[in-house]
Amino acid sequence: MRKIRYICLTAAAAAIVTLSSCSSTPTAENPSAPVISPQATEAVSENSHSGHAGKEKININSAILSELDKFEAKLGVPALSNKIQAGRPYGSPEDLVTKKVITQEQFDQIKDQVGVQEVVLTGEAKDVDYMSKLGLMKGHLLVAQELLDQNQPKQAEPHIGHPVEEIYVDVEEQLNERKVKEFKTTLVSLQDLVKSNSKDSKVKTNFASSMQSVDGAIAALPAEQRSKPGFVLQVINELLDSANSEYGAAIADGKITAPIEYQDSRGFVVYANDLYKGISSQVAQADPEAHKAIDSSFAELIKVWPAAIPPAKAVKTPNDVTKLVKTIEENSQKVVDKSNTKA
Amino acid sequence: MPNNFALGNEKPWSRRQLLKLGLAGAGVIGAAGLWQMLNLQSKSIVKVPPLDMEAPDDGTNPMKMLRDFDYGTVKQENGRTIREFQLTAGTSIIKLNSAVSYNIWDLNGRIPGPTLRAKQGDRVRVLFLNKAGHSHSLHFHGVHPAEMDGVRPISNGKATIYEFDAEPYGVHLYHCHIEPVTRHIAKGLYGMFIIDPPTPRPPADEIVLVMAGYDVNDDGHNDYYAFNGSPHHYMDHPIPIYQDQLIRLYVLNIIEYDPVVTFHLHANFFDVYRYGMSMTPSEKADVITMGMAERHILEFAFRYPGKYMFHPHQDAIAENGCMGQFEVVAQSKSQKTVNNS
Ligand SMILES: [Cu+2]
Repeated sequence: MRKIRYICLTAAAAAIVTLSSCSSTPTAENPSAPVISPQATEAVSENSHSGHAGKEKININSAILSELDKFEAKLGVPALSNKIQAGRPYGSPEDLVTKKVITQEQFDQIKDQVGVQEVVLTGEAKDVDYMSKLGLMKGHLLVAQELLDQNQPKQAEPHIGHPVEEIYVDVEEQLNERKVKEFKTTLVSLQDLVKSNSKDSKVKTNFASSMQSVDGAIAALPAEQRSKPGFVLQVINELLDSANSEYGAAIADGKITAPIEYQDSRGFVVYANDLYKGISSQVAQADPEAHKAIDSSFAELIKVWPAAIPPAKAVKTPNDVTKLVKTIEENSQKVVDKSNTKA
Repeated sequence: MPNNFALGNEKPWSRRQLLKLGLAGAGVIGAAGLWQMLNLQSKSIVKVPPLDMEAPDDGTNPMKMLRDFDYGTVKQENGRTIREFQLTAGTSIIKLNSAVSYNIWDLNGRIPGPTLRAKQGDRVRVLFLNKAGHSHSLHFHGVHPAEMDGVRPISNGKATIYEFDAEPYGVHLYHCHIEPVTRHIAKGLYGMFIIDPPTPRPPADEIVLVMAGYDVNDDGHNDYYAFNGSPHHYMDHPIPIYQDQLIRLYVLNIIEYDPVVTFHLHANFFDVYRYGMSMTPSEKADVITMGMAERHILEFAFRYPGKYMFHPHQDAIAENGCMGQFEVVAQSKSQKTVNNS
C-alpha cells in the first residue's frame, strides 16, 4: 500500500490558508469566490419556462447513449455521446460548456434541446429504459434461481429482494400504461417465503410465477422491437454497464469479497449474453467486424463468472472486465448508429 | 471555560466587532459573503495544531476528514445564493486492518462522504451521479418538498439534481435511501450535512467525527467500527488539539445494526447542543446516548495537556475500532510549532 505523507501546518494566523490548502475540493469559503453567473440565471428562467415551451429536451444527466447521439449527429463531434456521459453530473445545460464537453458555439446550436430536469422518456429511449430495468430484474432472478437450486436460500434472498427494492418503483407506472399486471406482490411474497421458510414447497411455484411476471412484462414490448439489433444492443449495454460496476464492487485484493455483487454481475452478464444470442446472426450480417468483436468479448466475459458461488480467486481483474465491456459497447454503438440512420 | 468566548453567543455583530476584525470597510459584500468572511475571521483566531497526515491509498484519510468542510460552489441566481455540491457514488476498497480489505460504496472517493456545509436560507443544489452499480439515491435530513426527498432510485450511470433550501440550521446528515437501507448505509453512502445558523457560532476548532460500523460478511452484525471510516485510526494517530482551545465536535452516529451507542469523552465534560439546533447548550455531560442517525454538537476545552480517549461506552464497539484519542498540546508549545513552518 502506497502511503502519502504530508504535513499540514496549521497555527494561529496561518489557519485560514491551511484549512483551504488541506482540502481537496475547491470550496467557496474564499470570500472572493462568489461569482455572479449570468449563465446559471438564464438556466433557471429557461427551465421554469420549459413546461410550456413544447420542445422536447434531452436530459443530459440520464439520457442513454443513443438519445445523446442526436447531439453527436447535429454537431458532428465524434464520440460526443460518450463525452457527455462521462461529464455527468450537470447542474445546468451550460455546464456542457463550463465542463469543456463542447464549445459555446456548439452549445448555441443545441441549447434548445438540452435539459437537466427530469423528463418523461418517450419513444425508443423509453422502451430501452423499460427493458433494461426488466433485464436487471431478470438477471437478479436468474442468479437467485441458481442459488435456490444449489440449496442456498440465504444467498438467493437478496437477489429476490433487489428487483423490488432497487428497480420496481421505476417501472411501476409504465406497467399500467403497457397493460402489464402488477407483480410486486408476487416478488415480495416470494422474498417473504424464502426468508421465513425456504423449504416450503410453494417457493418453487412462487419463483416460477415471479420469473413469468418479469418475462411477461418484457413481452409487453412488440416482438419485432425485441429482435431489432439496434434496440437490443442498447439494452445489453445498459446491463453490462451495471455488471461492470458490480464486478468492481465485488473484488478486493484479487479475491471476491462481496459475493452479492459478484452474483448480481453474473446474472446481468448471463442475461445480456442470452439477449445477444438472439440477435447475433443479424449483427453478423449487418456488421461482421462488430459482431466478431462483440462475440469474442462475450466469450471472454462469460468465463469471469464460472458459477453462482464465487471462485476463490477472481478470474479477471475489474480492469480487464471494464475493457471487455467497453469493447462491446463501442462495437454495439456502430451497429446502433447504423440502424438509427436507416430508420 | 468553554463559555469564555471572545464574542457573545447570540448577539448580532456590532460595528465595533466588525472593525476589530477589519471588516467594516468591506462595504458592499452581500450577506452570504459576510457570513463566510466572519466564519473565516473566526477561524483565524482559532489555534489548530499541525497535523501529520498519513494518507492510506484508499477511500480513507481520517486526519484530513477531521476539519475538511465542503462549502460547494457558490453561484448567484436571481438574487439568491446557490450552493452547488457534486456527489458521485462509486465503489472502492478500504483496509480495515492489516489483514482485512473491504469493498465499500463511496461518495467522491471517500468514506464517509464529504461534510457538506451551507448556511440557513441558502439554496442547496446537489448534483448526484451514480457510478456504483446498484441503484442509489441521496436523502437529506432537513425540510424540503416530497420530490426532493431522495427515496427514488437513481440507476447506475444516471445523474439527478436535488435542490432545496437549507433549513433549519443544525447538524444533519445525508445518506442513500434504497432498500435494504441498512446495507446501503453500512457500505458507505452517508455523510454529514451542516447548516450553519444565520449568526455564526463563536470561534472554535471545529472537528467532525462520524461513527460507523462494518458488516464484512453481510450477516447483519458489525464486525468492525470506526470514527471517520478507519478503525482505530485516531487511537494510533491521536488528534492534536490545543490546551484551553474551544473544541466544537460535530458528532454523528450512523452505525447500522446496533440500535444505540453512546459517545464518551475522558477526563472532561462537554456542552451539548442537541442536533446543533440551538445556540445555547441543553446540558453538560461526559456520556451522551445516540440512536441511529442522531447527531449533536459537543463543545469543550481541555485544561491539562496529555492524551484523552473518546469512544462509545459500549466497550465491545470501542474495542472493535470505534475508539480514538485527543492529544492536548500545551499552549506554551504552540509558539514552537508555528516556527516549524
Ligand atoms: Cu444505495
